[in-house]
Amino acid sequence: MISIDAFSPILGHVFSHPLIGSYGLPHSDSTFGPEVQWLWDLWFWVSVFFTVLITGLAVFFCIKYRFRKGIREVADPSTDHNTALEITWSVIPLIIMMVMFVLGFKDYMNMQTPPSGCYNIGVQAWQWHWQFTYPDGAATNTLYMPVNTPVKFSMTSKDVLHGFWIPQFSVQRDVVPGRTMTVWVKAVHTGHFVLQCSEYCGDGHSEMRANVDVMPIPAFKKKLAQASDIWIHDGKILPLSVVGKKIAALEGCLGCHSVNGATGTGPTWKDLAGSHVKLASGQTVVADYAYLRQAILYPGHKMVAGFNNVMPNYYTTFGGAAHKKHRKLDAIIWYINTLSSHANKASRPPVPDYPGKPAAPRSASPKKIAAAAPKLPAAAAALALVAEGKRFYASMGCIGCHTVNGSPGVGPTWKNLAGSHVKLTNGKTVVADYKYLRFMILYPGKKVVAGFQPIMPSYTDTLAGAKNKKKLDSLIWYINSLSDKASASAEPPLK
Amino acid sequence: MTAVNFPDKPKVNYLNCDKGIKSWLLTLDHKRIGLMYLVATLTAFFIGGMLAEVIRTQLLVPQGLIFHATKHMSSFAAYKHYNQVFTLHGIIMVFLVLIPIIVGSLGNLVIPLMLGAKDVAFPRLNLISFYLYVGGAIMAIVSTVAGAVDTGWTFYTPFSIQTETYVCWMVGGIFLIGFSSIFTGLNFIVTIHKMRPPGMTWFRMPLFLWGIYATSIIQVAATPVIGVTFLLLIMERTLHIGFFNAALGGSPVLFQDFFWFYSHPAVYIMILPAMAIVSEIVPTFSRKHIFGYEFIAYSSLAIALIGFLVWGHHMFVNGQSAELDTIFSLLTFIVAVPSSVKVFNWLATMYKGAIKLDTPMLYALSFIILFTVGGLTGVVLGCIAEDVVLHNTYFVVGHFHYVMFGGTIIGFLGGLHYWWPKFTGKMYNETMGRITCVLLFIGVNVTFFPQLIVGAEGMPRRYASYLPQYQPYMIASSVGAYIQLVAFLMMAGYLLHSLFRGKKAPDNPWGAATLEWTTSSPPPHYNFDDTPLAIEDCYDYSNVKYDESIGGYVRTDVPPQAEPAVGPEVAPAHA
Repeated sequence: MISIDAFSPILGHVFSHPLIGSYGLPHSDSTFGPEVQWLWDLWFWVSVFFTVLITGLAVFFCIKYRFRKGIREVADPSTDHNTALEITWSVIPLIIMMVMFVLGFKDYMNMQTPPSGCYNIGVQAWQWHWQFTYPDGAATNTLYMPVNTPVKFSMTSKDVLHGFWIPQFSVQRDVVPGRTMTVWVKAVHTGHFVLQCSEYCGDGHSEMRANVDVMPIPAFKKKLAQASDIWIHDGKILPLSVVGKKIAALEGCLGCHSVNGATGTGPTWKDLAGSHVKLASGQTVVADYAYLRQAILYPGHKMVAGFNNVMPNYYTTFGGAAHKKHRKLDAIIWYINTLSSHANKASRPPVPDYPGKPAAPRSASPKKIAAAAPKLPAAAAALALVAEGKRFYASMGCIGCHTVNGSPGVGPTWKNLAGSHVKLTNGKTVVADYKYLRFMILYPGKKVVAGFQPIMPSYTDTLAGAKNKKKLDSLIWYINSLSDKASASAEPPLK
Repeated sequence: MTAVNFPDKPKVNYLNCDKGIKSWLLTLDHKRIGLMYLVATLTAFFIGGMLAEVIRTQLLVPQGLIFHATKHMSSFAAYKHYNQVFTLHGIIMVFLVLIPIIVGSLGNLVIPLMLGAKDVAFPRLNLISFYLYVGGAIMAIVSTVAGAVDTGWTFYTPFSIQTETYVCWMVGGIFLIGFSSIFTGLNFIVTIHKMRPPGMTWFRMPLFLWGIYATSIIQVAATPVIGVTFLLLIMERTLHIGFFNAALGGSPVLFQDFFWFYSHPAVYIMILPAMAIVSEIVPTFSRKHIFGYEFIAYSSLAIALIGFLVWGHHMFVNGQSAELDTIFSLLTFIVAVPSSVKVFNWLATMYKGAIKLDTPMLYALSFIILFTVGGLTGVVLGCIAEDVVLHNTYFVVGHFHYVMFGGTIIGFLGGLHYWWPKFTGKMYNETMGRITCVLLFIGVNVTFFPQLIVGAEGMPRRYASYLPQYQPYMIASSVGAYIQLVAFLMMAGYLLHSLFRGKKAPDNPWGAATLEWTTSSPPPHYNFDDTPLAIEDCYDYSNVKYDESIGGYVRTDVPPQAEPAVGPEVAPAHA
């Protein structure tokens, strides 16, 4: 190892010499750059050597030993094997391979191990869109990074495989759904780069890019402060329709829904609001406020004729009773309405485009800003609980008997359970509200749903009591997130 | 010079001994089955090649020349069609062309002849193999017409579960083709074990047989894995059982493990037969004994066996543990060694030879050079730290096209030109053959070398559109693809010309010493009148001399006396 560490700067020096030079890889702007670069250069020149050697020998032999009628019709007598020689040309490549292996392994371990004290950025990928979230809650489509700071990315995918790939940083990692993938990088120069999706993910794969902006730390902080509030610009409250346009871009809606009437992966938004929409079921419905809301929250529910069911669920982004005062959804629907010549009272959200009065934007007082902004803490808390509940669903084994997609299982499916009417074996019909769901989880044998066996074990030891309340509630939050019929009475109280 | 193998050449051969469409479709003759394989795989190659031209034309401009946004269609909806095109190109080339093209066509045509045998061990199984291949190809066509698959040839989950294209039909077709591959492999293993002629010990077999034998082991051992994987995929799509979809509690990475457990060995199914062909061509045209026979034979087996243990190098960036990455990287470097051994041995064979640069030899030389580039670019991909900056980029595309096209297809073309006179009985225009080979060599490099550069610069693969700075390389690559198209059209021209107007081929036009050249061109229905003895070294050319009067080579030593003749009525062939 010592010899390798001593050699790398020397070789790095050699490869930067203009007579030898280094070819191929782009200039790297991260701390991985130098190691990746000199190893690449090493192999580049080894490859050039062997290609020239083999091609050269082949051509040389073809000329020198060419068949000539009457002069050279048979080969010179020579041996047809030479074990020592053959072992030599087996062992030399083997040694070269082992050197390459050790060098590559060493650099790779550096890449795998993030240093302590990394700045954390969340990466969410979905078809065909990147979103970056920062510790203070801001979310952006451009990746802003502080320079000279190790940054750790925690990456999740909502749908299929994606690839996080910034050539100039010498890092790449797949974003695998169902897992949190991590990768770290320390950028050493400020500048603009492009993040490209490197793992094939469908129609928009080649356009699934994000701008990357590596900034000095003060500028980075300023940018984040701006990005963390989408509702206000320069101290002025923005109209909902303008905010809606921003959200539509941020959430990737515009990747599939055009705003100019062109066919896309999903229906165009031009002239959508208030129009008549033909569904795959053959029905025709009017695209009013209720329809638009439902189409965004439960995309697979009523498919528009001629389209495939590929839209991810936006329930956790926009939906749920706890989000009642959450205006993001209304903002998007306002934006859709501004794109339509059929827009009317029924298709517009029941709140005015301009929050508060007067309508003309003007400098807002901090109080008003606070009133206009959504109740993020409550929304975020519910969101977190839903995610946690989903984990418990898998880890506690609920997944074994209760499906979440409506298909039959040993126990009732959780799809559309919360808020629905449930028929019990004793003939009674009850509403699956919060109290009921709690009861059924804690004391499963006491009431049994018609058509099922009383075989569920009791969960009192793991879920009963004040200290387990959060755990139980998170499960019920998750059940709520799966239901179209969820209502405030089915949701656990949020404090 | 009196010794001519078959003074009274039979006028009846396997091509004209039986007439009518039925005599072809129901034939049990390995040579006819081989020819049908050849026609089928070349048809698939034509379709796959045309799709490649569509891909290269699309990529002439950054926003896409063929599929792009219009007033009526968003860019994504247009790019979906591009994705379908590159997916079909990949599936057709891998499953319908590269895997069966050498083994199915040349393997079938040549193996029994090389063994001095009358047919393969199980002629009926051989025919079933062919029809499974055809059935699979038909299912692939159905899926293409009904809803062309857009998953990429790798079928990675969960996209392959989510997409509404006809994935089930397509993987069902590949499932059938998998059976075809298993049956063929099984058949060849038994044939090589049990049907060698008297005198042909394991280490006196032509190296082509060693290559095919190693290939067959992989086919039999690895193909069931992909079959089961695709069955699970079908079950997941139709019954929603969560094997590979994270949303149903499955693991997408598991699918990748299963997929590459087959698909990495599969690249050796593709390359080993091509190496085996080169091992035949190089000594024949150097007029010199192959150098290091045993090393070449053992290296085929080593590649086949180690090749089973390196699949994880396709997964260095998907989050598998660093320990696994390390082990797979190590094994990947080790598997590179036997390949390099072969290259050195071929060069040593040429040393001090009397090299004739006929068309097959030009292909063998092209193979050596292109495979060297493909191999060296593969080594850097096996180096984990470098793979992180090259994974999923055009560098990978360039690398595997150097290996698959520069290796398998060029090797196949070498074999096709080498054995063409044997199984058609006609010579092709040698000048045209040489020009075409050189043109193709240029085309391959112009196409795939820019891909290596643009990949190193960071352009990801499977892109319907790209950043403008990559355009010069993309244009160069497309120009290369058009050069290849011209070369293939020329090849089709002179080969078809040879079929109808070609000069009659002598029994042994190149002066090779393996057994297939001792029978007539084209061979009779029963291959050999008598079972030949294989007591001569099949790479010893000292007694194979050119005979002006027949325009081909003959053995000047007394041909080995055959065993007492056993006629077809006692030991019927093709039964």
